[in-house]
Order: sequence, then structure tokens, then C-alpha cells
Amino acid sequence: MRDRVMSRPGDDVPADAGTTAVPLEEDRLAELAFRREQAQAMGGPEAIEKQHKAGRLTVRERIAMLTDSDSFREVGTLAGTGKYDENNRLVSVTPAPYVAGLARIEGRPVALGGEDFTVRGGTTFGSQRRKGGQGGFVEDLAFHYRIPLVNLIDGAGGSVTSIKRRGHSVFPGVHGFERSVQLLGNVPVVSAVLGTAAGGPAGRAILSHFSVMVRNTSQIFAAGPPVVKRSLGQTIDKDKLGGARVAVDEAGTIHNAADTEAEVFVQIRRFLSFMPANVWELPPVISSDDPVDRCEQGLASIVPEKRTQAYNMQRLLRMVVDNESMFEIQPTFGKAVITTLARLGGRPVGIIANNPMVYGGAMDAKAARKQIHFMELCDTFHIPLIFFVDVPGFMVGEKAELEGTLREGMRAVYAAGNLKIPTLTLVIRKCYGMAGMATCNKNDVDLKLGWPSAEWGSLPVEGGVAAAFRREILAAPDPAAKEREMEAELKPFASPFRTAEAFAVEEIIDPRETRPVLCEFVALAEQRLRTELGPRARCGVQP
Amino acid sequence: MAKEELLSDVTGTVWKIEMAVGDRVEDGDVVMILESMKMEIPVEATGAGVIAELPVAAGESVEEGDVLCVIES
Repeated sequence: MRDRVMSRPGDDVPADAGTTAVPLEEDRLAELAFRREQAQAMGGPEAIEKQHKAGRLTVRERIAMLTDSDSFREVGTLAGTGKYDENNRLVSVTPAPYVAGLARIEGRPVALGGEDFTVRGGTTFGSQRRKGGQGGFVEDLAFHYRIPLVNLIDGAGGSVTSIKRRGHSVFPGVHGFERSVQLLGNVPVVSAVLGTAAGGPAGRAILSHFSVMVRNTSQIFAAGPPVVKRSLGQTIDKDKLGGARVAVDEAGTIHNAADTEAEVFVQIRRFLSFMPANVWELPPVISSDDPVDRCEQGLASIVPEKRTQAYNMQRLLRMVVDNESMFEIQPTFGKAVITTLARLGGRPVGIIANNPMVYGGAMDAKAARKQIHFMELCDTFHIPLIFFVDVPGFMVGEKAELEGTLREGMRAVYAAGNLKIPTLTLVIRKCYGMAGMATCNKNDVDLKLGWPSAEWGSLPVEGGVAAAFRREILAAPDPAAKEREMEAELKPFASPFRTAEAFAVEEIIDPRETRPVLCEFVALAEQRLRTELGPRARCGVQP
Repeated sequence: MAKEELLSDVTGTVWKIEMAVGDRVEDGDVVMILESMKMEIPVEATGAGVIAELPVAAGESVEEGDVLCVIES
């Protein structure tokens, strides 16, 4: 199949074309065409069929599905291993197990590449200028052209067989992650896990701003079942070890899951639609037919009168942002907080909203990690942030302490304190304690708005009274009645209007005005952001 | 017929069940209310259909990830 079938010079040239081409050149053109054909053939029909049977696409099908039609400009098409006959004539070429190049997504340029699993299972290709992903040429393309990078990951990284080829083993990091690390501060990086990823490719999946994997046909782990068996004596199948249920829903190793590869590409296109090409640009604004002055009646009654009743924050957000504009990052992980990209008047915005449906919105370690990543993402790419606050505090209890909630939560406070983008804090209901601090940015205008349903403080009057006046309450003839009486005495001071009266929050707004107010904020934020383009300086040590 | 499971996002107790097996639900309808962290947490249908199973009862404790309801569409 791979044997060379050279067309004779002039075969496809009409006789009357009067060509004067030199045979040698024609030979070279024919050789180029042959070598290109060999690259297109990947690992051959059997290997391709095997890939399809596993429910997976080939890397070339993936690129075609992800990018605008006919926009792929391959770089390194001819890289591979040539087989020559005794007269040194080319017989066939096994392509390098990595396909990379430049393409367009919604008309905007990207660099992208992915392992070709049909060739040697997508193992690394040890060429001079590395064709593979990690530290590879595709990263240089993204870096030097200042365009987003998309990694289509389907490989398990290095193979021990390279020792024999090189005659020595390689020190970890020689072909390292330094470029991958550098990219994270310069251009959007997206990783799709489309097969079983371990080792280097697994690591590279994490070194991204947004990562997504396929439920059922992809897995990711530091090391797969055979290594686990040898190291720990445990027998575990690869889905249980690194399927989406573990890697996305439980561990947050990968941000989002999709049911099919096609949906993975939809998510990637969606994510990139919110991102600038690099940190020296503003995120792209599109036209929106959703009026910026739309006032939603339903918002007036969405928060239940009874403060212990939860409500659907997702629904609330959908009523405010541009129609159909929400794209949630990590929807199945750390669900006490919702992190979503969206648009207001066509302008990208990051939204962090506490979710009262999950433990009343109390911040646990997972929610804190999720919030930190999202804040840094928005800060890096100049996307203004809006907090929709309903947080009773950090999650409490033995499990929460074991998970390091206090430390993770304070890291969120620290990360919020380092934000440089304009932020707006809108308190829907509760805003208490240190978790409440993680919803403000004191470096900025620090605009704090509240709905009339808002309440805030170090801790709620309910419960707070019992702690602060313990002795007085216990000394009373009827302690329960005394507690209720003291609560009733303090309760009026907890009204958000009292705080606004003291100008300790800037404004209490009618919930129905939320969209117009926020659209205006995001439009003004753009003025500021224009003056602050470029990379973010990294400072300090995260607690 | 597609089956959709509603899973519990919290550890807590089932406070009230608002629907019965065989009832028709629309997206956003409240099927039951859980109680956790002193909060009443409505469990909403994520699509239209008919309630096929309600494997929990009022007063029962539930853990994160437990199946609360199965909806057939």
C-alpha cells in the first residue's frame, strides 16, 4: 500500500501545453506529491480503521472538523521516517506521529497540532526541531505569531525505545515545558484530551487555559493501569482511573467534558470566541440583538422571601446576560460556585456566581480552586469580572477541614486581591465573612452593588448573637427568648439600605435593572482595559 | 425513551416530595425539596418527561451523588 507509485512526468499535462519543464524538476514535484500522499495516508487503512472502531477520529479528521474549511496550512508535512531501496530511491515514508500547522477558527488564526495515534500510538518523534507537542514547533508557532494554541492530545508520550535509538537516556525537562509555561501568560491555550493521555501529553493537557475531554472514549492520568498495578499492586481499569467522571467531575484535572469529539470542537470554538488572540489585544466584541436596556420582570421575584430557601442561580444569570451567551467552565466540578463566560451587549464578561443549591453556596476547597483559575483566566485576557454573590461563608465541618478549605478559600481571597481587571460585585442575597471578601477587588473602583434582598457582614445576626452574647443569653430566665429578642433588636441594622445610607456600598439596585446596569459597567470597563493591555506581572507567593 | 437521573448535589435529608411516580414534569419543575446546611434546596427537573422512579422518601438521608429521581422523556 505504501509502495511508491510515481506518475510519469507529463502524465497530467495536456500534450498541447507545450511544456518545457526540465525532467528533474518534474521529478521533484512528483516526489513532493508522493511524499504528501504518504503523509495523508497516516498509519495506513488498518490503523485508521482501528482508530475509528475505538470511537475516535484520526488527527486529520479532527483538524478538519475543528477548523474553518480549507484553512489548514500544515507545517512539517514531510517529517517522518523514509524507507529507501538499495539504489537510495525512496520507497515509502512513515509520517511523524504528530500533525501540526496553522488554521483559522471563525476566521481567526490559531496554531494547532495533535498526535497521530495511527502511527506508533502517537509516541514522540525525536527530530532535531521537535515535531511533537511538548516543547515542539507548534508551540513556537503560537508564541511567535501571538495566536492561540490548540492541542489535540491522543498519546502517552515518550517511549523507552528511544533510549536505544539515541544511545542514552534523556534528562527530564530537556525537551521541557518552558515554552508551554511561557504561553500561558501570552496567548490562549486550549487542550482537548481525545484518547488515553499519560506522561508528557497528560501534563501538557493541564498546562492550558481551557481543557476538555470526551466521556467514555478518553482518559487522563499521570500513569495508566499497568504502572498502577506494578507500583501499588492495584488492579483498576483505565476509565475508573482517569475517565471523565474522575478527571472532570471529581478531581477537576480537566475542566469540561463532552459526549462526543464533535462536541469537544464546539466547546473549543466557543471558548476561543471569548478570547483575544493574545494578551496585547482586547477580547472580541460581537453585535448582539439582545437590547442592553432589557429589564427582566422575573428577576424581581426570583429570590425567595424566606432566606433559607435556595433558588436557581443559573436561571437568574440567563435572565441577565445576552441570549444564549453563557459558556460555563467546569460545570460539574466545585458546584458551589458557577464560573461562566458570557456576553453583555456583545462584550465578553466573566461571571462568578455562588450557587445556593449546593450547600447554600458555601465555598469549599473545590469551589475555591475553580474560582481562582477563572479569576486568573479573566485577569490574563482582560475580561471584566462580575460577581453574583450569595455566599454564607466557607464550608464548615470535618470533611471541609480535611480538604483544606480554609487555605484554598484564602488563596481565592489572595487571588481576588491581585486582580487588575475591572470588577463589579453584585450581592444577590448573602455576603458573609472571608468567602465574601473573595468576591471583591479592592485595588479597583471596587463597585459594590446590592439587590434589596442583600445582607452582609462578618457573620449573620442569626447565630452571631448566640456567639457574641453567650453569657448574657445563658443568664436570662428564658435563654431562647432572650436570643430571639436580641436578634430582633439587631436585625434592622442588617438592612442593606442602612449600609447604602452610610455609603458603605455604592448602590442598591432594582433587580429588574440588573442587565442595563451591568451592560453599562462592561462598556466602561473596556475604556480602562484599553489602557492596560499586555502581560500580567506575576507577584508574590500564593498562600 | 431517554432516561435522565437527577442526582443530589448535597449531603442532607429529603424534606418534602412534591411529585409522584407517573407525574408529568417540565424543565425547572420542583420534584422535591432537600434540607442541608439549614437551607431548603429545591431539586428541579432538567427536562420535560414523566417521573419513572422516586427511589427516596421524605425524611431519608441522602449523600452527594445519590439518585433522587429518574425522568423518562
